[in-house]
Amino acid sequence: MDNWLKICIVVVFAVATTGNEEATPAKLLFSKQILNKYLVEGMDIVIKYSLFNVGGTAALDVQVADNTFGPQDFEVVGGQLKVTIDRIPPGSNATHVVVIRPSKYGYFNFTAAEVSYLPSEDAAEALVGLSSEPGQGAIVPFKEYDRKFSPHLLDWLSFAVMSMPSLVLPYALWYSSKTKYEAIMTQKKDK
Amino acid sequence: MTQKQKALSKEEEILLQDFSRNVSTKSNALFYGNAFIVSAIPIWLFWRIHFMDLLTSSPLFLIITCLSTYLVSFAYKKTKFVLKHKVAVKREDAISREISKMIAEDKKMNKKEKDERVLWKKNEVSDYEATTFSIFYNNALFLAVVIGLSFFLLKSFSPSFNYILSVGLSSGLIALLSTGTK
Repeated sequence: MDNWLKICIVVVFAVATTGNEEATPAKLLFSKQILNKYLVEGMDIVIKYSLFNVGGTAALDVQVADNTFGPQDFEVVGGQLKVTIDRIPPGSNATHVVVIRPSKYGYFNFTAAEVSYLPSEDAAEALVGLSSEPGQGAIVPFKEYDRKFSPHLLDWLSFAVMSMPSLVLPYALWYSSKTKYEAIMTQKKDK
Repeated sequence: MTQKQKALSKEEEILLQDFSRNVSTKSNALFYGNAFIVSAIPIWLFWRIHFMDLLTSSPLFLIITCLSTYLVSFAYKKTKFVLKHKVAVKREDAISREISKMIAEDKKMNKKEKDERVLWKKNEVSDYEATTFSIFYNNALFLAVVIGLSFFLLKSFSPSFNYILSVGLSSGLIALLSTGTK
């Protein structure tokens, strides 16, 4: 009788907690990260968008849109700035990567992207959220970056070729005269 | 008497040439030409690697190249004068042997004429070797110091300032070093 009572109590609790979990709507945490160390004019910038569903239900019809990169300042070279993810299960995450290329240099404020999603199957309205903001970044001119990092191998090779006549020619002339008279001295010593 | 005077003055002429710091017009042209070329070479580095604009920086390039040309040719002359005497001492025996061999069959030539010829040849060879080695030595030192200054010591400076200091200091340094007596 006692055992039977204990089993009934356990079953009631299990049903109650299961019922509570199913009721928690989807909740997405949204982050936007710039993966580059250097932001350079005319060179690729990689943006990573990460969505974490910390709710108890799957997030449906997740639409991510980043309208912060205007076409006059940036060119999209990989991925898309507007994507739709059908479903993000509870407790899981989704990531999306976009590669853009800035066409101008200067300071740029990297602001938030937007996300809208249905927090449950029977939700009437979509929830809208914003991602984290990476903040202000300096996009350096290509000249500066190239000056700092390019090996300039061809330029150094050209410099070496240009310098050769000024160095090799006088040395060769001096050396030929030197060896000629040293040879005369050697001959004298041999005799 | 007149011939003796002429012979003496010819010998004196050679000796004067030997000990004189003055260079001939031909040597001057050679020195200034080489100095100009070597002073202009760093412009390539500053244009291609430091990204200095050729057109806008052309007055600066011109002024500094001219200054550097003067200082480098000064260094050539001084270095040549110091080296000439060292080379003359080293080559004396070999040159007199060479001349002896050349005039062995000419029995008309007396000792005095032979000595004159040796002196003249010694002056010529020492002048030649000193000139060529001076040009080589100063060019190598100048280019090495320019590269060392512009890409290591002064790399954080703006390109224009970097150019003025690296080329100016390099040419100044080799001019200064050439005034040493050893």
